[in-house]
Amino acid sequence: MKYDKIQKIKTIILLSFVLAIFLALVYSRIMAYTLAPTMKPASFRDLPLWYVPIAYIWDYMSHGWICLLFAFVAAGIVYEFIPKDIITKYMGSNKATGYALAAGVAPFFTVCSCTMIPLFSGILYAGAGIGPAIAFLLMAPAANILTILLTGEIISWQIAIVRIFVSLATAMVAGFVIANTPWGKEIENQHKVTNVQRSSIAIVKIPLDEKLINALKFSWYLAKQILPFFFVGLIAVGYAMRFLPEDIVGNYLTGFRGILIASVIGGPLYTPTLVEIVLGKGLLDLGMSQAALLSWLMGQPYDIPNMMAASKIIRWKSVLTYALIAWMGSVIFGTLYGIVTGGL
Amino acid sequence: MILIEVIGVEPPCARCAAAQKNALQAAEMLRKDGVEIDVKKLNIASKDVISQYGVILSPAIAVNNQVRVAGRIPNPDEIVKIIKETIAAGDKKI
Repeated sequence: MKYDKIQKIKTIILLSFVLAIFLALVYSRIMAYTLAPTMKPASFRDLPLWYVPIAYIWDYMSHGWICLLFAFVAAGIVYEFIPKDIITKYMGSNKATGYALAAGVAPFFTVCSCTMIPLFSGILYAGAGIGPAIAFLLMAPAANILTILLTGEIISWQIAIVRIFVSLATAMVAGFVIANTPWGKEIENQHKVTNVQRSSIAIVKIPLDEKLINALKFSWYLAKQILPFFFVGLIAVGYAMRFLPEDIVGNYLTGFRGILIASVIGGPLYTPTLVEIVLGKGLLDLGMSQAALLSWLMGQPYDIPNMMAASKIIRWKSVLTYALIAWMGSVIFGTLYGIVTGGL
Repeated sequence: MILIEVIGVEPPCARCAAAQKNALQAAEMLRKDGVEIDVKKLNIASKDVISQYGVILSPAIAVNNQVRVAGRIPNPDEIVKIIKETIAAGDKKI
């Protein structure tokens, strides 16, 4: 009886905490309070060298803490509460469901490599095959809940939404093309799991308060993994804003040439999630075009560490094919976006 | 004889390592009560593991070849509870 009471109180406290963070975000929206940094390149010009990163990090933190806190908490909650049986039950079924789940659902709880590699190999081996696996691999960095929230709040929601759809299109095409190449088929046949003598799965149900604690623990874990890189990224961007002349960025990162350059440097420069958003925001402030920014953001799925990990399982030929398709996708959609919005 | 399998990424990520540590602690607690228990680490990306358990989220814990926890880190007490359930169920599956 007493234990029940403690549990109830715990649940209420945790729920109010989550609600408070959510309301803080809603409040900031209603008050039209900007969550993105406000410093422009010109504000860095007169600062002493040692003060540049401090000023920039302070600028980010004073505006962006609600957004960051919300993003991490939301990522934890989504990961904990999304029904995992969907993935475990249907991911291995057939091609059509495989594509739909791999590109539409799985990315939402792929906020760390802990879930990325298992899901990728699971989709590949367990029945859906190489197409959905590749679609998932390309979609995951672009459409997880952290990336979407931060792209939306720090850059713009228009870019964030466009990014989801164009990444989805590219990921589907890449998956479909690779599934039909001879080398893709070869890997699929080689890895197909045939002897289906499945052990039963009986996932333990846990009470709401423990679920919430798990969710927040996962949020904290993600923050510990990602924030150090985020701060290093901020320091780098701070100095870039100070020293990178605006006319160089304005000359090279606009127009079709800008899209090409952004799509090529986006990949190798890609670091763990979120830094590409900060860098993109910095370059945008320095004069990069919106179209080039989209290509830049789409460049991250074919980054080098990701390709290395994938090549161990599906070998370099398939990896190069998807990298090429992802690159073409980022150039094509960047150009289209530029034409449509008139911001090429 | 109880077999605990901790299914995770190889090389272990921080969360998989934490799950394994807790499983080992739980096993230690039960050994004191005289339960025969073995803890193994499985690689989630291997073909054998996937053909046996299907697509699961890491870290996962299976007790006597039955997946009971997926995608989170249970604490040692909870693992002990889960194992005791398996013992109580005997030959019947849960």
